[in-house]
Amino acid sequence: MQDRFNSENGFLTTLKRNRWPLILTFLSTLGIILFLYFFYGYATDIGPEQPIPFSHRVHAGVKNIQCQFCHPYVGRSKFPGIPPVEKCLYCHNYIIKKFPWIQKEHEYYNTKTPTPWVKVNYIPEFVFFNHQRHIKKKLACEECHGQVKTMDRLKENRFLMGFCVDCHRQKKANLGCWLACHN
Amino acid sequence: MDRRTFLKIAGVGGLSFAASCTSQPAKTLYTLVQAPDDMVTGKATWYASTCRECPAGCGILAKNREARIVKVEGNPLHPINQGRLCMRGQAALQGVYNPDRIKTPLLKEAGKYRSITYAEAEALLYARIKAAAKKGKGRVRIVTETVGESLLNLMGESLDNWGSGEPLVFEPYAYEALKEANSQVFGFEGLPSYQLDKADFLLSFGADFVETWLSPVEYARKFKEMHGLKGSDKALFFHVSPYQSITGANADLWFSCVPDSEYAIALGLLRESVRHGKNRSLPENIQAAIEEISAPYTSEKVSALSGLSPELFHKLYVHLHTAQRPLILGTPTGASGAFSLQTNMAANLLNLVFDPTLSLIDFNNRHRVELAARRSEVLRFFKEVSNGAIDLLLLNNVNPAYALPRGSGARTAIIRDDLFVVSFSNFMDETSELADLILPVRLPLETWDEYGGKVGMVSTMQPTMGSLSGAPNLGDLLLRTGLGPQRPYKNFQAYLFTQLSLNGTIKDKKDWLQLLQTGGLFDLESRKRTPELTLSSKFKSIFTNPPVPKKAELVLLTVPSIRFFDGRGANKPWLCEVPDTLTQVAWQTPILLHPETLAKRGLKQGDIVQVESRWGRLEAPAYESPSVHSTVAVMAIGQGHTAYGRYAEGQGLNPVALLPPELEPSSGAPFFTAGPIALKNTGRSIKLAHTDGSRVQHERKIALSVSLKNLPYTEPHEKHRLGMWEYPLVLPLPEAYDRETRDIYPPHDHQDYRWAMVVDLDKCIGCSACAAACYAENNLGVVGEQRVVEGREMAWLQIQRYEDPERRERLTFLPMLCQHCDNAPCESVCPVFAPHHSKEGINNQIYNRCIGTRFCSQDCPYKVRRFNWYVWQWPEPLNLQLNPEVTVRTKGVMEKCSFCIQRIKDAHNRAKNEGRKILDGEIQPACVQTCPTGVFTFGNLMDEQSEVRKKVADNRAYQVMGYLNTKPAVIYLKKVVQEI
Repeated sequence: MQDRFNSENGFLTTLKRNRWPLILTFLSTLGIILFLYFFYGYATDIGPEQPIPFSHRVHAGVKNIQCQFCHPYVGRSKFPGIPPVEKCLYCHNYIIKKFPWIQKEHEYYNTKTPTPWVKVNYIPEFVFFNHQRHIKKKLACEECHGQVKTMDRLKENRFLMGFCVDCHRQKKANLGCWLACHN
Repeated sequence: MDRRTFLKIAGVGGLSFAASCTSQPAKTLYTLVQAPDDMVTGKATWYASTCRECPAGCGILAKNREARIVKVEGNPLHPINQGRLCMRGQAALQGVYNPDRIKTPLLKEAGKYRSITYAEAEALLYARIKAAAKKGKGRVRIVTETVGESLLNLMGESLDNWGSGEPLVFEPYAYEALKEANSQVFGFEGLPSYQLDKADFLLSFGADFVETWLSPVEYARKFKEMHGLKGSDKALFFHVSPYQSITGANADLWFSCVPDSEYAIALGLLRESVRHGKNRSLPENIQAAIEEISAPYTSEKVSALSGLSPELFHKLYVHLHTAQRPLILGTPTGASGAFSLQTNMAANLLNLVFDPTLSLIDFNNRHRVELAARRSEVLRFFKEVSNGAIDLLLLNNVNPAYALPRGSGARTAIIRDDLFVVSFSNFMDETSELADLILPVRLPLETWDEYGGKVGMVSTMQPTMGSLSGAPNLGDLLLRTGLGPQRPYKNFQAYLFTQLSLNGTIKDKKDWLQLLQTGGLFDLESRKRTPELTLSSKFKSIFTNPPVPKKAELVLLTVPSIRFFDGRGANKPWLCEVPDTLTQVAWQTPILLHPETLAKRGLKQGDIVQVESRWGRLEAPAYESPSVHSTVAVMAIGQGHTAYGRYAEGQGLNPVALLPPELEPSSGAPFFTAGPIALKNTGRSIKLAHTDGSRVQHERKIALSVSLKNLPYTEPHEKHRLGMWEYPLVLPLPEAYDRETRDIYPPHDHQDYRWAMVVDLDKCIGCSACAAACYAENNLGVVGEQRVVEGREMAWLQIQRYEDPERRERLTFLPMLCQHCDNAPCESVCPVFAPHHSKEGINNQIYNRCIGTRFCSQDCPYKVRRFNWYVWQWPEPLNLQLNPEVTVRTKGVMEKCSFCIQRIKDAHNRAKNEGRKILDGEIQPACVQTCPTGVFTFGNLMDEQSEVRKKVADNRAYQVMGYLNTKPAVIYLKKVVQEI
């Protein structure tokens, strides 16, 4: 019995001999688990930090501004459009003008600097999503983008094919690969 | 460590590596600061402008997406090109986004360039001008390419203020012989346009009108309007020339003649016409003159001079004689030899004899390039410069150091120490390299200007996008430096407005806006010109004492290329990558030699030969071509730059090095021929970068033709046998499936639409505009010379050319693209279903599903699938041209023609918004849109009324290798040939 553990080919001897590779394996597995926990469980929970802490909750929720006011092309183009700097100042020339973050927005405008918003909604590059078609079909923004009205910072959202296909199946929408999304 | 442990660790290591790959770099979404009125993200805005890639002046529409232009198309409202565009026009984009574009002014100090600001450069220019003007009259000169009336006027005004004369308009191809011939015969020196479409017989003495001659897109269209099949009739086109250009390959008969003998054939025809009394309606003095000059050219003499058999010559005359409305065109853009003037004059006289009213020559709508200076004037100018006559030389988009042969004096003139040379070029070409100051100005697609390709036409240019470099507009620069601070115009746009108001084109701001939207005003009251038939005193002597040609065993002809024109296209990767149609060679410049010439010298294709003329020598790869006369060698001009950016420099060869600097004395034209030349085998050889697998079809039913005689008896499609030649036309529709005899699988269900394309081979001229348009629209990778040699080019559409095995010089062109088969072999072999049949019949290639087994490519009988062996590069800012509607494919993925699915989707979107079906003809894939002759028809096969459905009922309809039962959705119409 002892031989099975301690002999030259026994379990413990093998273990000892391969001590370093095993430790390495253990450490890297631990590393991955910690990384995955941090990545999915913690870091992405509140969405990335934006250059200006714009709150969708305040604008779309509390103030009840329509989505289309800031994203005006959503019904006429593939892309909804993000508001130009001047559009923020339509209101913020009057409302909380002196607030430091609004001051920063004014600075962007005065120095003709585009605001570097961090992207939160991702679709892969080989997918050509058309907002117009979905709006024309009377789909509410929330059906895909969730309760934006309740979120301060938007959470990162990676749209996956299953999400699209489920809905397309349910609604008997276009399922052609190229005709619908890819080309 | 033993093997097992290693594998265990490697496994875990691999896993951890894979797990760490999920995170993507955070991307930033930049907002605009202020939104322009007309920009909707995701939607294109089209701006009308004018193409300036050659002097023809086609109207274009530039597609602007999010402030950058991604595609150029023809302007349908423009009378010159009517919505069509050639490959050089398509590639204009790669000038704007060229990675080698000069971004700041460069000042040469002690032989090195130093970057300076635009303001500094302008101040320096102003100072230099003032200093030079102070020294006396004529110390500042401008050499420019052909520019619009307004800019030319401004140059004139500026030079006036600087105490100098007119600007010199330099074009490497200035049609001197044709202009001189018109002056000798019609009494004025100009370049009238020709109404090819109204003729019923066309005879060209080499004029390459579908490639570069005067206005190629316009003439290609008019040619096919004339030469296309009308019912069961077809007009004739004969081409007399020592080599077959692409134009010549479209002729019903190519009369291969000895170089410099075209004039003899033309005079022989004149003599015959006199004999048959065709000249009787002309004034007597002209009758007599024609008789006198043509008298010596008997059929025997013509035959002896040209090598054309008397029977062939007789045939030529008979067809000319019996034609109702014959039109005779002169010599080609380049490649003109010692007798170019005589040939053009004889051609003019032939037109006069056969149609005394000259109804097919339009003397009012003349080509603008007529104002280009003759080569003799250009050389005289450079001689003056060499003598120190001027202090300041301004060069606008000209490259004499490349285009003029050695010994012309341009180079020595420009490098003079006491001469300050300013180049307005955007590229470091051979001439800019010699300049003291390079001050790049905006390119035509970024600027305000106006250019009428013909007299009596205003065609506007407006910025189709913002300037990438902050360079000034040439007009603004001239206004500031030329008219001084007290100028009455705010900017060049205001100057344009005034100029156009003065000549009555526009009255107010509203007209101006309308003008910009249409792209111009095309039917101005032009200065009417009528020919005056006054024969000059020199008239007879030109013919009676023609120079005696030196007998040469081998003569070199250098021809402008449809791809590079005079060389300005060589820095655009698409133009290098799309192969020359006749040779199918990309990137390289081969020397075309007749098989006999090769055999005599023990050479074979790909051998590098040393070509030597009296004026220079170079080493070129030989290409076996039955379409050149056995006494000539042909090389294309355009490549072989010693500068001009990464795509042009050191790529291909420049045969101008072999040309004589002397001029033809009577017309002041340069020689584009060099003879005699000596060929020497170097013993080395290279692999040519050619894209054709074979020159013949091996009787595989690929590019078919039918003779006009047999056309009414062409077999209908009803045969139902399975042999190669009895196989019926099987449309890609459910009703065409025959489960009894041919089909195992059930038909596809198509919903509302089944997209299909009809390709009329009879109309295809082989210009490759479609191929270039495809590169632009679909983000095709440019692979470069070495990869083309390896057969890894990415073209989704290519023009294949096939030789007739019986008569090798007879070529058939065939646009080959994905056939979108109903029974696609590619679909059934893919293990992951990446090729996929859509409900509208299109064969989809799902890039993200593809794992790169390449089974599909192996199984495709048409060999139209392209595999990405590498990650292709778009050096910045070329990447800005990429079409945002199309995925950029990466390494390991198969791709192929999609019938421009993005345009189909766009049409769907429009139709859905308007609650209707897609209209017939609404969708135009990029190739269909640009084709100058209307080869392609795209539409819905399920619609009984659609154009494609009507066309597939044609007797000429067939499917390439249809006997494989692939049921292609690309249906070809056979080419109609005429036995002469």
